[in-house]
This record gives sequence, C-alpha cells and structure tokens, in this order.
Amino acid sequence: MTHLLQTVLLGLLIGGVYALLASGLTLIFGVMRIINVAHGVFLVLAALFTFELWRRFGIDPLLAVVITTPVMFAIGWVVYRGLIARIRTAPVSMSVLLTFALAITIEGIMGMTWKNVFRSVTPGYFNESFHVGPFFVPKPLLFGFGMAVVVLLALYLLLTRTWAGRAIRSASENPEGAQLVGVDIRAVAALTFAVGIATTGGGGSVLSVLYAFFPASHYVWISRLLGIVVLGGMGSIPGAVVGALLLGVAEALTIGYVSPRWGVAVFYVVILVVLLVRPRGLMGTRLREDVAA
Amino acid sequence: MRSRTAIRRGAIGLAALALVLFPFIQPGDLYRQTVLIQIFLLGIVAVGWNVIAGFTGYVSLGQGAFLGLGAYTVGILSRYVDVSPFFLAPVGGLVAAAVAVLLGLTIMRSREHAFVISTIAFLFLVQAIGLNWRGFTGGSNGIRLPLPGWSIERGHLPFYEVMFGLLALSLLMSWWIRRTKFGAGLLAIREDEDKAAAIGVRTSVYKILAIVASATLTGVAGGVYAYFLTFIDPRGMFDILVSVQVVLACLLGGRGTIWGPVLGAFVIIPLNEVTIDVASGQGVRLFVFGLALMLVVLFLPRGVIPSIRAVLERRRTGAVPVERRSAVTTVPVSAPEPPAAPAHPLLEVEGLTRRFGGVAAVDGCSFAVGRGTLTALIGPNGSGKTTVFNLVTGMMRADAGEIRLDGRRIDGMLPWDRAYLGLGRTFQITRLFPQLTVLENVVAPLRGFRWRGLAADAVTGPEARRAEDLLDFVGMAAFAHQPAWRLSFGQQKLVELAQALMLEPRLILLDEPAGGVNPGMIDRIAELIRELNARGLTFLIVEHNMPLVLDLCDPILVMARGHVIAEGAPQRIQGDQAVLDAYLGEAWGTAAAPQRADA
Repeated sequence: MTHLLQTVLLGLLIGGVYALLASGLTLIFGVMRIINVAHGVFLVLAALFTFELWRRFGIDPLLAVVITTPVMFAIGWVVYRGLIARIRTAPVSMSVLLTFALAITIEGIMGMTWKNVFRSVTPGYFNESFHVGPFFVPKPLLFGFGMAVVVLLALYLLLTRTWAGRAIRSASENPEGAQLVGVDIRAVAALTFAVGIATTGGGGSVLSVLYAFFPASHYVWISRLLGIVVLGGMGSIPGAVVGALLLGVAEALTIGYVSPRWGVAVFYVVILVVLLVRPRGLMGTRLREDVAA
Repeated sequence: MRSRTAIRRGAIGLAALALVLFPFIQPGDLYRQTVLIQIFLLGIVAVGWNVIAGFTGYVSLGQGAFLGLGAYTVGILSRYVDVSPFFLAPVGGLVAAAVAVLLGLTIMRSREHAFVISTIAFLFLVQAIGLNWRGFTGGSNGIRLPLPGWSIERGHLPFYEVMFGLLALSLLMSWWIRRTKFGAGLLAIREDEDKAAAIGVRTSVYKILAIVASATLTGVAGGVYAYFLTFIDPRGMFDILVSVQVVLACLLGGRGTIWGPVLGAFVIIPLNEVTIDVASGQGVRLFVFGLALMLVVLFLPRGVIPSIRAVLERRRTGAVPVERRSAVTTVPVSAPEPPAAPAHPLLEVEGLTRRFGGVAAVDGCSFAVGRGTLTALIGPNGSGKTTVFNLVTGMMRADAGEIRLDGRRIDGMLPWDRAYLGLGRTFQITRLFPQLTVLENVVAPLRGFRWRGLAADAVTGPEARRAEDLLDFVGMAAFAHQPAWRLSFGQQKLVELAQALMLEPRLILLDEPAGGVNPGMIDRIAELIRELNARGLTFLIVEHNMPLVLDLCDPILVMARGHVIAEGAPQRIQGDQAVLDAYLGEAWGTAAAPQRADA
C-alpha cells in the first residue's frame, strides 16, 4: 500500500512538471491551430543551455531560468517571424511539416556541436530526498514541481490580468472578432508563439536535473507532450494540467508495476486511443472544422 | 500535343528498360545496384505516401513504420518457416495492410491534425514494441535473416529486379487510383471533406482504403528489403529519418502527381549518399534533410513537377473563349418521379431545432416541399435558412425534430446516405474543389456506394460522358479541363449545379443561386432551373433576389427567428402582415415612422 501511494505521489509530482512542459504546446495550438512538433526540441535545447550555464559558470539550474526564459522567448519570436509566419494561411499539414523539419534541423545542429552523449545537470541536491513518514520526495522533483507551479501561475496571470493576455485569449476564441475590435492578430500570434516557447526555459531547467538527455531525446518528449495535450483536449491549458497529472501517475504506475521500459509507451497508446474514442479529449472544445460551416 | 505524349512515353519506356538491364550490363557494380535498390525502395514508400498525403490530403509522419512492419513480419516468420523469404514478403504486405486499417480507424472521426499526431505515436509505438518485446522481436539485438539461396555470382540481381517490379506495380496502382471514381473521391476529400460527404463520397471508408493502399506495397517492399539487408533492428527499421526522406521525396517531386515521388527518390537517395561520404555521424544528415524539408515547404510547396507544369501551361494557353451554351434539346436528367406519386410531400420537416450555445438558430421549424414544386425559402438574414439546409443535408445534426424525404426519416442518416436517396445541394459561397478541373468536379459525386463502383473509370467512360452532357447543359463544356479556381463566381455556380445533378437528385437545395452573380447569368440560371423543374425535379431555393423569387417560385415559405411564419403563393406573401413585420421590424405599419431613422 505504501509503495502504491509512494508511486502515485511521485507520479503526481512528475505530472506537475509535465503540465509545465505541455503548457506552451497547447497554448500555441489553441491560438494558432499549429501543432508545434518542434516543442520537444526547444525543450532539449533549453536543457542544454541550462547545462552549459551550470557547467561553465556554476549557475544553479533553477536560477538559470532567469536567463533561459528570455533566450527561449527570443528564439520563439525569431522562429515565428522567420518561418511560421510565412505559412500562416497554409493547411495544418504544412505547418506540421515545417515544425517537424525545424525539429530535425535543430537536432542535427545539436548533434554536430554538442555530440550525441547523455548529459544531466547534477547540483548538490540532485540525489537528495525529503522524508515524510514512510514516504520520500526527491528534492529536485519537488523543486521542479515548485517551478512548474510558479511558471504556470505566471502564465495564468499573464493571460488573465494583462492586455496582451486578453488579446491572446480573444484571438484564440474568435480571431475575426478580435481583429474587429483592434487586436493585431499577427502580432498576437508572434507573441503567443514566443510565450509558448519561453515556457521551455523553465521546463528545460527542470528536465536537465530530473532526466539525462541528448539531442534525440526530443522525440520522446514531444510524444509525451502530445499525449498530454491530446488527452486534455488540444488547446486547453486546464486540460493539459489534468492530462499531465493523469499521465504522470499512469506512467509512474507502469514503470513501478510493469516495467520501466514500457513507461513511455503509455503515451503512444493514450494518443491513439483518445483520438479513436474521443478526439476532442477531456476538456477540449470541438474544433470548428468538425462542426462544418 | 500527341507527339509530346508520345515522346514522353518513349522516354519513360527507355529509362525503364535501361534500369531493368543495368545489373545485366554492369553485374559487378554492386555499389550502384545497391543505390538503385534504395532508390526503388524509397520510390515505393513515397508513392504509397502520396496516395494518403498527396491524393487524400492526410499527411503522415509515420509512413516508414509500414516498411518496418513488412521487414519484421518476414524476419520473424523466417525463423519458423523454411521457405525463401521472397515468398514471405507478401505476408509482410498483408500485415502492413491490417495494421493500416487500425491506424485508419483513428481518422474515421477526426481530421488532419489528429491524423498527423496519431501517425507519430504509431511509429514510436511500433518501434517501442520492436525494442521491448524481446522474446518476439529480438529487441535491440535485431533479427538475422538467412542468406539468399542463390549463388554468389548473381549478386543483387534478384533483389534488384523484384524491387524494380514493386516500384512499377506501385506506380500502376497510383495511376489507376487517380483515374477511378475512388481516386476522384480521394481528391474531393482533400479539397473539401464536408462537401465530398454531401455529394455522396463515403469519406470514412475512402480514407481507410487510402491508408491501406498506401501501406500494402510498402509492407511487401519492407519484406524484400529485410532479406536484402540480412539484418534488421528496431532503430534502423523504424528510423524517423526514413519517414522524413519519404515526405521530402514526395514533396520535392510533386505531391499529388504520379511521377513526383519517384523523381524525388532519384534526388534524395544520391543526396543521402553524399552526406554519408562527406561526414560521418547522424547530425549532418539530420541537418541536411531537415533544412531541405524546410526549404521545400517554404519555397516549393507544390513540388518540381507541378511548378514546371504551371509554367508550361501559362505559356501555352491564353484566355479561354467564353462559349454561349450550345443548343441542347435534351435535358440530360431523367424524369425522377414514378407515375403514381404517393400522397405525402417530397420533403417534410417537423419541429426542427438547432442551438448554438444559447442561440436557437433553428427553433421548431416545420414545413413541407411538394413534389415537382419550385419552393422558395426566404427570410431576413440570420433567420436560419442556411442552417436548415445544413440540417437537411446532414452537415449538421439537429438537436430535435424530424426530417422526412419521400416519407422516409433521414435525420439520423449520414450525409452520403442522404445523397444516395436523391438529395442534392449547392452552396451560398460555392464549394467546388478548387484544384480539380471542372470535369473532375462533376464526376466526383456518387449515386450509391458499391465496392465495384469504386473501380469505375472516372475520367473516361460513361461517367465522364454523363458529366460532359451535364456541363454542356449548363453551358460550361468549354471549361471542362480548366481548374475550378479559375472560374468566375457565376460560372462556379453553374458547375456546382451540374455537380449536384450528377447525383440524379429528386430534390435540389439551392442556396442563393443568384447571389453575387451578374444579371445576365441570373437569367440563365433561372432558365436552367425552369427546364429542370419541367422535367420533374423539385427545388427548394433560398434567395434574396425578390423579383427572381416572385417570378420563379410558388409556393414561398418565409422564415423568421428560426421557424416558418408564413407560406403561400407569391401574391399572398407580398401582402402578409407577419412577413412585413419580420423584414421591416414589428413597428412597421403600426407606428407612423421608422423609429431609428436618425440612427
């Protein structure tokens, strides 16, 4: 029983981290209807930046967020202006191919410059734990969970309390209407994409401590994130949080009771089953194209 | 024109012959033979991908999985069965086809973006199974296949010729699909899936068949390739880079064309060889192919072949002469009604309701359309007329109410089943398939679903002749081979009418046939409607052009706030107080002046 509760506890904490990682992906889809297949690669890139900051300057990975978040924001903005904006009117499939191509290109660059070796950031606390009664909580996991809460809260405040956030939400719900009341859709799209990518700053820092990673890790990460987003409902941030917590627990249970090797397969199965049984996920709205004009 | 085709055929024949003979002429050049085998292989997979992504419009990033499935089927079977793996390769194709059906189920109910995601998940799931189910697949150690049974002097020859044959078979399949009713339906789905369903294309079955067609030969080729490699492992066989090269080959050559994927394969594989020569390590190859894919998506999204074709066409054709309609004496529409018509009306709508959030766009709407009538459905903007059309044709589901066509409940039916019962429709903003030619647009509709009907020739034969007759009838025969997007709005309305007639409908719903059309064209459309009506076709017409409605239609139904408020002959409707109120506001006629004149 203790083992089960311990597994669920760890699953929930990991789920919280997953929620942070998936939030940017679902935000971008919600506003722009773009499936950013490159999201995983940005996450790994941010983890690599965190790693370099820690290795060269000894900056704690949790503090590195202050640097990596603006850097990722800038990268997101440039990628949007330089690539995504060119195909705004093209069908969904073209944007998927473009972000997929981008992911592979960046993976290639990372492979050439940083080589295909596993890395992880190991600050002093990385293998320490807190103990509460019969349960334990690894310190980096708890810090990562805390980071997730902070970043998600910041995202929530940004979306609900600022003009830019309201513009993003209005563009997500009704682009034509937003345009009519003076929202510059293109600027909002660039901003959304940049904010979505900026979340990988915090995400990458947590990832770099919790997991060993190398350039090709991004496939596993994008699969996890797509599973979460599909389960929660594409475009819904609350949905992503619920999906992340559920899948965090499901993965932990699979690893604990079946085999560590099948952990990530949970996400692939969830994607296929959800799309088969309930394509709009738990909290997603029906897409307009499914309703028909 | 003819000589150009002859030259092209000759060139293709010569190239094919040279490729067949190559291993006989250069038996010792095993390197080039290997490269060509890889080109053929990529060509086969890319041609398959083209069926689902190019024809049908559903992009897959997991096409390489079918190759791996075929390879693994042969690899695993070869451990238990002692026959040449060549004979096992077709089993690989069957397994790939069966798995393709399962994958296809995920797009029965959802669209593009969902399919892309499910193909990524599918590829990784299959790879994970290959890696983790060690007892069955050998895990990361892979599977070693028996060496070929023939003598060493024959080299790669059997693999080479079999792979070439599979490529030829793939091309034949792709060419054949493109010219059947099945292919026309796939293109219709790519261009506008809802519209395709409305003209009788059973989209769910079509999509699954397309995936199966794209996977089968790929699976067979995978089996042959495994035997050629003599060793397979999950990382190599389910490498995402394979899927990238497939996508790139097809996009580069030309998505939706017959030869594009093969042309692309002849570029991509040599490029691959160069990247392997220049630098070791996966990084460089990923960078090169990722960058190439980005450039193609951004700057050459249509591919080489379509771009060249567009340039040539622009040079060859000038403006198309606008032709007056030729003197057609026979209306190419059969009289649809049986001699003893039953007493109930053709279309009955009762208590129909549809809400969007808090707004009831259609609210307890009831009316009937009599057999052989030209019934008009008018009403102010937002009164729910187009929503009624969408509910009747099945593009939307009603929240409540009943719809009967010829006494039969249809409100629970799928759009294509309603089309088979004789329900045709045109749209307010025309919805032709823009990239298809006018003729292809008109041959796309299906009057019923039969498996054999899928194989029927669409671009020649009786279907095409009927389509040409209908185009002649609406006066658009001269434009038969023009892409639909080039037509004016009025011309598109005429073609859409011909498209609806192809269904041999009993009832046609016309949504603003005269809206946005020049006055000369309006007369012609009215004339056509009258002629068709004289042949027994029933019409329900939404239209804002009141002189046209009053002249053409009887009876007239008036809708306001989601239901029919008045019904009757044109003269009666013109004087009806409720109608005046609906159009001009409740106060009109009772108050002395318009209340918001100053606003």
